[in-house]
Amino acid sequence: MGETVGNLIGLNDEVIHPAATLAVEAHNSPSKQFLVKKIKIRHDLSSVVVFAFSGSMLPKDWSGQPTFAKTEIATGEFRSLTSLNDGGDAVVNGSFLRRFKDVIGNLSKAKELKEATEKKRQVVFAGYSSGGPIAILATLYFLEKQTPSPRCLTFGSPLVGDRIFGHALRREGWSDYFTHFVMKYDIIPRIMLSPSSTEHEQILDYFKSKFDRKNINPAPPSGFYLTVMGNASSVASYEACHLMGCRNPSLDIIKSFIELSPYRPSGTYVFCTGNGNLVVVKNPNAVLQILVHCAELGESNTAEVEKRSLDEHSAYLSELKDCLGMQAVVSLDGGPATATLNDLGLSPQAMLCLQAAEEFENRRSRNLEKIRKYLEKIEVELEMMRKYKENAQISRLGYYDSFKLQNEDDDFHANVSRLELAGMWDEIKEMLKEFELPDDFEKKREIIDLGTKYRRLVEPLDIANFYRHSKDKETGAYVIGGGPRPKRYRFIQRWLEHDEKKPFGSRSESLFWADVEQLGIDIKKKGYLQEIEERIQQVERNLIAWIGDRSLDDDVLLENSTFVKWWRDLPPQHKPKSDRIEKLIGEMSERVTQGTKI
Amino acid sequence: MKRRRMNQVPLFSSAGELANMLVTSNLIEAAWAKIPELQRGQSALPSSVQTMVDHPTPKCTIVVFAPSPDSTQDALSQGGDLVPYPKFDFLCTKGCPSVSINRAALTLFTPLYDHLSGLKDELNKREGQLIITGQSLGGSIASLFTLFLLSSMDKESKCRPICITFGSPLIGNFGLQHSHWNSFFLHLVSDKDPLPTLFLPSGRSAPTSSHSQATAYKPFGTYLLCSELGCACFDDPDFIFKFLTVASSEVAGGLQVVVDYGEILRNLKYRAICKGPRLVGERLTDPFSAGIVMELKTIGIDPAKHNIDIGRMEKDARDLTWKTNKASEAKKLNDRKINMVWLEWYRKKAEDVKKDYYDCFRNERFNIEAKIQWHMEDLTTYWEDMVAEAERKPQKEGASFRTGWLQAGTTYRRMVEPLDIAVFYKDGGRDYINSERSQHYKLLEQWYEEAAKPPTSEELDSKKQKVSVLLTEDSCFWAHVEEAILSCKSLTNANSTPELRESSWNNLVKFGEYVMEQIENYAVSPEIFLKDSCFMTWWGEYKVYIASPSNPCSLRFIQFIDFMKTGRYGVYGRSEVP
Repeated sequence: MGETVGNLIGLNDEVIHPAATLAVEAHNSPSKQFLVKKIKIRHDLSSVVVFAFSGSMLPKDWSGQPTFAKTEIATGEFRSLTSLNDGGDAVVNGSFLRRFKDVIGNLSKAKELKEATEKKRQVVFAGYSSGGPIAILATLYFLEKQTPSPRCLTFGSPLVGDRIFGHALRREGWSDYFTHFVMKYDIIPRIMLSPSSTEHEQILDYFKSKFDRKNINPAPPSGFYLTVMGNASSVASYEACHLMGCRNPSLDIIKSFIELSPYRPSGTYVFCTGNGNLVVVKNPNAVLQILVHCAELGESNTAEVEKRSLDEHSAYLSELKDCLGMQAVVSLDGGPATATLNDLGLSPQAMLCLQAAEEFENRRSRNLEKIRKYLEKIEVELEMMRKYKENAQISRLGYYDSFKLQNEDDDFHANVSRLELAGMWDEIKEMLKEFELPDDFEKKREIIDLGTKYRRLVEPLDIANFYRHSKDKETGAYVIGGGPRPKRYRFIQRWLEHDEKKPFGSRSESLFWADVEQLGIDIKKKGYLQEIEERIQQVERNLIAWIGDRSLDDDVLLENSTFVKWWRDLPPQHKPKSDRIEKLIGEMSERVTQGTKI
Repeated sequence: MKRRRMNQVPLFSSAGELANMLVTSNLIEAAWAKIPELQRGQSALPSSVQTMVDHPTPKCTIVVFAPSPDSTQDALSQGGDLVPYPKFDFLCTKGCPSVSINRAALTLFTPLYDHLSGLKDELNKREGQLIITGQSLGGSIASLFTLFLLSSMDKESKCRPICITFGSPLIGNFGLQHSHWNSFFLHLVSDKDPLPTLFLPSGRSAPTSSHSQATAYKPFGTYLLCSELGCACFDDPDFIFKFLTVASSEVAGGLQVVVDYGEILRNLKYRAICKGPRLVGERLTDPFSAGIVMELKTIGIDPAKHNIDIGRMEKDARDLTWKTNKASEAKKLNDRKINMVWLEWYRKKAEDVKKDYYDCFRNERFNIEAKIQWHMEDLTTYWEDMVAEAERKPQKEGASFRTGWLQAGTTYRRMVEPLDIAVFYKDGGRDYINSERSQHYKLLEQWYEEAAKPPTSEELDSKKQKVSVLLTEDSCFWAHVEEAILSCKSLTNANSTPELRESSWNNLVKFGEYVMEQIENYAVSPEIFLKDSCFMTWWGEYKVYIASPSNPCSLRFIQFIDFMKTGRYGVYGRSEVP
């Protein structure tokens, strides 16, 4: 205890209430896309610039087709919002995205933003209610641009993105820049866990008339709570099943029959308990469980809770005024603190869900420990592979061809190493697919480096094995769409490409041999076509580029290698032969001669 | 309550959460909604079981079965005994060699059989979701129809079925615990409903059902068990049986009571968003126990009073968690690949010194045989498990489960069994095939034979080209050779009785025919003809014997002897065979 919200989220406490005030004001000023305010911090005299966004309670600005207005986002300005394994791109609410796109042009040009950047002032994007999603997407937009990191504060914001969205945020290390304040019963932060329906419209209509005509209190709708919270509960239970390691095989079948909301919380959540205490939670699974369970019906009757779920959406300013000054804040992460949970009024079942959420994180840490042990083994195997490769050069054949022939005991041992390595990387791959490793795993420098080293050294052997057994006859070429190329290599390649901000597929130097082999086969099969000629030229260009940046080892140029033999045997139509390659082969030959002489 | 050991990771019970997810989704409601509708419209119609096929959305089909109240009473009065029903023998497993179905359900199902056959074919062609449902005996028909449908579905089928029953009695003696089919069944049972417990020993069994038969009933699928307080999902047949037994002793009301599952669902849905009652005083030291005790109490089971072994439930859950881990599954598969690579390498080493690998292994020529044997053991354990798992599945499903790995299993059998044979005969064993051969090899071979088609002439041709790199097809080939060697010894042994001589002689003639057949089909590897192989050693002895003047029989017309004597084997496996 003893910490304030500001400490826990890394932002001065003085900013929060003014930001909330501005956010509410902006939300109710539909004529302006956003409002800006500079806030002076008393103790160090620095300034924080807050941008707050206007809102809309029109159903079309909340929902859309397909259900849940699901829209894949990972393009252009949001390139990081994707999974680096098979999880696909992040999904966001398309209506929110559209509203963001309406704003971003003017926001980027705003002179206040330029000024804040020049003067190195902290920028905060804030949003209340439907202004929240715009604040979130704007923050992401500038995080992607690698400008000085902005902060995001939302108050009673609906959910914006799915599980991959949150995963990508945590992978990039951006999660901590987002803080969302949520009242215990406020319906709006939960509304996106339920599909759009007449109940949604009732709620939005109510708020619309409330915000439009500030002095008149419209009649609150009723009967929506059961529907919205029922659907939210379905989502929470489905996630709880996963957290709890549910092994009932019916789960997958059932899931295929029901459409749950894809949206999940991400970032830091601050729950306002209503009695002056704030609970700060970062574990996204725990946030979801609390979001649903703390708004469950207790002793009070449904109508009472239903009314409260509407009223609390308008209570942020008064609630925050009361509790921000106090140091009555508890961080849930690192173990459920029973006292605080009493404030949230969670049931024993909810407590079990939280424990499962915590245990899930522990499991991921344990898996990481296990993988760390693998990394040492991988290093050892790779060192053996490196020696194997070095030895193979002496025969002027290269390890690719030596392995393909499988004549020597060394080749056999390399094969066993190849499989040992495949086993370890496949296990990593499976864990990643199931989100069983920490979110930032694929972003860790040592992992990317080791993976890349492995891919460049060992994938040629997988290719050699593939073409040695003519597997292309059964499965088609080694590299085609979702073809036979082992996924572990696809994943590892993607990590590097993502890290270097290069397009998907641009780092395929480990596929050099597959291109060569397949070309050889295709020339025999189809004859010499224009398309083939283009592919040959591509291989030549790749070779020169990759040898140049040392991502491909020059042993492919050894006199007896499959590549050199294939290249020399190219039909006379292939002209002009690249002098550059001829020269590279010559240089290699010289080096080997000198090398063996020494 | 037992404390969990320090090094064990905490486990959770998700029975309540799964149930909660179900009742808060609209799936069960969608299924239920059609049942009262059909039941209401029924009285006007003469047919005893009403069937309705509805398409609420283009991608969703609902099939509802509703027997009329009269026919239900009629069928129930027939009794709860189990009747053998061979039409459903596709559900047979090792543990359940013949399928029996409850008489009441059959009474309603059998007259519908032809009609349902047509419906099944029609639905099989449809794409998308298919919900099959019914209440009480209507649910039994729904279950039977779903099984019927599953048995005829192939991998390409785009139809995704789920069967949801409301208060249906147990159906038959077969279990689906080891079958993927298990996951397609969802049974709602209220603790107030007398019907699901009808055929249990303590239930109001109809007079004809005997106790032993009643206990032969096996629940399958997932049960959503509900009470006034809430609900929980279970798929452990023993526990479900237990629940039904407890419920049957406590349920009030006659069979005429028709439980309104619509009302039950409304209550459960409301309960789902309420803070549950504090059912457990002691807190969270062991989340599994805390969770399961709450879940059990919710559905009216008191672990102490009803003698529920929480420790065992936890152990089962832990075993299952461990077994279904995808990452370690991937690792295991890869380890088996490594084992095979070692064996391939051993075979290659033998080839390098121009020996056959059977001979090398039998005579331990490379001093690494112990290591190879270690890899063999890994493989055998793995394949024994695979075979056992296939056997636990219903026949039909087992067959499609096998197709995925039968090729790998065959390669394993051809690679490893000869080495097992080598060890066996080296240790002085006799008659491997009848006395020693492991069941899993027999099944692997049997399944391979069942799946194999006679080769086309093209395939035979390509086999001819490749025979030098292929493994000998009959994994017992070397056992036949060893037996031939023993027969040869008996024949030349002066002490042998005439009977023994004769049977040995016959064996050898048969062996010759067998080898010739293998050769003609390019089914043996040419390595058997390598100098000093067991086969050639045998041939050396046999050749001497048949050439000796003491040999009473004429062998001139035997093709095999001709093939060997003329040395044609020398070119077997090269591209051209004279």
